[in-house]
Amino acid sequence: MHVAVTHGCRREVNSAPLQSRSRTVQRGTAGCALLLLALAGCQRSAAAASTDPTGEWPMVGKDYQNRRFSELDQIATANVSKLKVAWTFSTGIPKGHEGAPLIVGDMMYLVTPFPNRAYAFDLRNPGGPPKWSYEPQPSAAAQGVACCDVVNRGPAFWQGKLYFNTLDGQTVAVDTATGKEAWRTRLAEINQGESMTMAPLVVKGKVLVGNSGGEFGVRGWLAALNAASGKLLWRAYSTGSDADCLIGPDFHPFYAHDRGRDLGIHTWPPDHWRQGGGTVWGFVSYDPTLDLIYYGTANPGVWNPEMRPGDNKWTAGIFARRPEDGRAVWFYQWSAHDLYDHDGINENVLVDLPMGGRTRAVLGHADRNGYFYLLDRATGEVVSAKPFATVNSSHGVDGKTGRLIPAEEKKPRQGRVVRNVCPAAPGAKDWQPMAFSPQTGWFYIPHNNLCEDIEGVDASYIAGTPYIGVNVRYHAGPGGNRGAFTAWDPVAGKAVWTVSETFPAWSGALATAGGLVFYGDMEGWFKALDARTGVLLWKFQTGSGVIGQPISYRGPDGKQYVAVFSGVGGWAGSVVSGDLDTRDATASNGWGDVMKDLKGRTSKGGTLYVFALP
Amino acid sequence: MKMPVAAVALLAASALGSGCKHESRDLRPTEAVSKAGGGVVLSTLFAGGVPGAIAGTLQANQENAYAMNEGKRLFDAYNCSGCHAHGGGGIGPALMDAKWIYGSAPQNVYATIVEGRPNGMPSFRGKLPDFQVAQLVAYVRSMSGLAGGLWAPGRNDSMQVKPGENTVTMQSPVRAEGAPPP
Amino acid sequence: MIPGSGYALAPAGPQAARLAQVFWGFFAVCVVVYVVVVALLLLGVLRPGAAPLDEAGRLRLVALGGVLTAVALVALLVISIRGGHELNPMRGAKDVLTVHVIGRQWWWELRYPGTAPDQQVVTANELHIPVGRPVLLELESRDVIHSFWVPELHGKRDLVPGHDSTTYLQADRPGVFRGQCAEFCGAQHAQMGILVIAEPESDFQAWLAAERRPAPPVSGLTPDAQRGRELFLRGTCVMCHRVAGTPAGATMGPDLTHLASRRTLAAGSLPNVHEHLRRWVTDAQTVKPGSHMPPTPLGTEDQHSLLAFLEALR
Repeated sequence: MHVAVTHGCRREVNSAPLQSRSRTVQRGTAGCALLLLALAGCQRSAAAASTDPTGEWPMVGKDYQNRRFSELDQIATANVSKLKVAWTFSTGIPKGHEGAPLIVGDMMYLVTPFPNRAYAFDLRNPGGPPKWSYEPQPSAAAQGVACCDVVNRGPAFWQGKLYFNTLDGQTVAVDTATGKEAWRTRLAEINQGESMTMAPLVVKGKVLVGNSGGEFGVRGWLAALNAASGKLLWRAYSTGSDADCLIGPDFHPFYAHDRGRDLGIHTWPPDHWRQGGGTVWGFVSYDPTLDLIYYGTANPGVWNPEMRPGDNKWTAGIFARRPEDGRAVWFYQWSAHDLYDHDGINENVLVDLPMGGRTRAVLGHADRNGYFYLLDRATGEVVSAKPFATVNSSHGVDGKTGRLIPAEEKKPRQGRVVRNVCPAAPGAKDWQPMAFSPQTGWFYIPHNNLCEDIEGVDASYIAGTPYIGVNVRYHAGPGGNRGAFTAWDPVAGKAVWTVSETFPAWSGALATAGGLVFYGDMEGWFKALDARTGVLLWKFQTGSGVIGQPISYRGPDGKQYVAVFSGVGGWAGSVVSGDLDTRDATASNGWGDVMKDLKGRTSKGGTLYVFALP
Repeated sequence: MKMPVAAVALLAASALGSGCKHESRDLRPTEAVSKAGGGVVLSTLFAGGVPGAIAGTLQANQENAYAMNEGKRLFDAYNCSGCHAHGGGGIGPALMDAKWIYGSAPQNVYATIVEGRPNGMPSFRGKLPDFQVAQLVAYVRSMSGLAGGLWAPGRNDSMQVKPGENTVTMQSPVRAEGAPPP
Repeated sequence: MIPGSGYALAPAGPQAARLAQVFWGFFAVCVVVYVVVVALLLLGVLRPGAAPLDEAGRLRLVALGGVLTAVALVALLVISIRGGHELNPMRGAKDVLTVHVIGRQWWWELRYPGTAPDQQVVTANELHIPVGRPVLLELESRDVIHSFWVPELHGKRDLVPGHDSTTYLQADRPGVFRGQCAEFCGAQHAQMGILVIAEPESDFQAWLAAERRPAPPVSGLTPDAQRGRELFLRGTCVMCHRVAGTPAGATMGPDLTHLASRRTLAAGSLPNVHEHLRRWVTDAQTVKPGSHMPPTPLGTEDQHSLLAFLEALR
């Protein structure tokens, strides 16, 4: 019954004609949501049940499908130009803020970059001090194994507890009523080069978390913790034996080259899978109908591909697993034998799209390797894979085998420099999450336009130190702009409009039913664009580059708010947040030269901005 | 007729003599693996005078081309470049600029490598012989010009991502030696 | 005793055989020339009172000399070209074994890619090849120019950084063949040797299979060797060396996973016996001054344990 209603709700929402029918959509969604509430009452706290959940932002992606779409339409194209700051909060941490605040009922929860403090705000008192704060006090030494600034991509909320990861590898649960710690579980070991930065997802009472550290030769995994007790329920590794990777009789990958025994060992040189990477630092999605969680695995350990011949399973791919026990159902590898640090962890947005005369349950994924994929959610078949940025390192995705076809002349070589490889290591799009608008049916992708020179060098695995093996330096791709924000029509497989950005568009995107899309740039401007045309309708200078995930919610006063973190950093902004020296083009693994002007255009910061109409 | 020959011979001899010191190689250093502290404390104020056998090597290395070149080789081999890039920094701070969080004197850099530092610099105590740490110290200081341009390595076989160490002009350290971190 | 004679005129494979042929051909021609020249010299010195030749006579003599010289040179040219042309009959051969040889100061890294990624073998300084099968060596250098030379099997081939080159080898009889770096590459160029061990195919496959195995687990070691393993992992060794099956994975120095199965240490500088291993580990700079192996002074007990571990790496 639950399943049928969910499916019905989604069908109603997603098959609404692609014109502005915001009210119909909103009503339909509201109706479905109320039904869902009635059926799944145990999944919401008492406080939230009394409010319309469309006004909340209960998980970093808004919903299990990771659409980052707000049904609120009070702020719309007609009035967004009047948007003003309602209140702000300074975290006091001058590092990259990649997180998203959560809104549950009348409360806002957020987690800062290292030292990962958690705060709760009562939204009935906007601009007032936090209701509580909690300091997990992670080990300062963890900063030495965080590849890409000491970011945190947000918490998760479920049944009165806030769940988040600390940089030094612990998952913490805090009671949201009191701000006291409920439990903490250590899962990752910094002396092995592991850390944790990702936003957990709570599915069926299990807190799903994954590790970071692909640049340190760690072994990647996704783990499930009991939300009430913090006890480890299962852990699915990304390399190693089938038993370690929770691959068993239920595993049915779509493509032939993903089938075989213990491929997590045999597609590597002997023992190399132990430093195989495949970490899980991106976002997890969940389809309650199919009962599948979807997440990507990161780059294989050691960037230098000549040191690890073989397909290097199960890195740079996407797993579909059952949340109950983590057993794998299917897998698809975006980049077999990844050559360029093209992590496969970019978010998978679950949508139903009209394709080939029927509605197809797919997931949309804009990968580092430059292709926008639509995969069948049930089987992992590639429905389409079209380049959404400049790509010269591959010649497309083979329709029969599903494999990426690499360009031989752009393969990194030991002791040689290969020039002008596109996309660069940060990819055509890195972690910065896109949004989907069911109004337009388009994806809104903040992304990069970068190419690189790459040289293979020796690499030694020394536990706790980086394991890279290449020298890289990036430069702007064709056009000279280093980033862009693109509206992508997934059915047609092409961009509808693109806004060029001086710097990589490193923030997340937000789409709203008011016909707007929001994102921020690395110079500090937070912007609202018309979702249909891409015309800039409003912008605000926040004082430091915006790399956070924007959200929208309805406050207790009934007004719609838009909130985002400002605070430059992350991998792309480390030149500023880390005070790096830009005379070295390889600073921060390649950003030194390409971002040398960022220092003059923005400065460090750490502030939450909340905007509303006057 | 004999005078110019003698003069030339003298000049040649003196040139040879001064060059040898900077290329001298101590291939059988007797220092053991870097122990706790290695005789160097974290402060540059030493009650009773500067201690330790390592202090002499640290000083001598500042003008030794072989030591700096070895330091450059070890800097990549031991993954220092993984965090510090080729001086620009990344996970770790930039080493080619004028800002020194924990001090720029050879003893400070030695302590940083051997003991580690609170905000993420790992400790290499017991993992590197003292003489190699001393070579790394010389190279690290050469990246910002604090150790001699005449003896700093200049040959870069990688893709020339930064000016050679022997062309760097000296950056006066911003924080005084031994000043406590902020 | 370092095995192998390294005697180029005792060829063990078709390439060296062809080179030896060229050598003997040249030798023969040169002997003939030498004899003729000496004979003429003696004739000129010892024959008294011979009348000097007239112009025409002298011209004829010079012409004759020119023709004979040309014939000799052409003979040498033909021998040389034919020899060089058939030096590498392996091109197009089937069943070629590929080995990557990576020259470093001052040792040889060897990688056998195998037919699948999990068949890859990485070792150092001892190149095992099957008898009778052509072996393709893909040569690269990590630092300066080296040169691969195993006289009993082939001539020299340079390893130039940034420039990949290849050569073919084949051993037609089992044996241990000593090779040497043949291009000055730094302080220890003289001690950069390599052993090529040609063995029957079955032995070779057994060796490959053994090389793919990781080091024995902790439970498979004696208590002394277990202590040595701890010393290895906690000390400086892990900064440069790899032992598969342990957390040590550095590639600056040779892979030690099967150190005890090798016949020599330090690229052919020392036989692999206990006393030499002890000396190499604790005081490498007296053996090979300037090499990148630092001295590691250890107490007697520590030396004993560490060596017990290293000698268990078969």
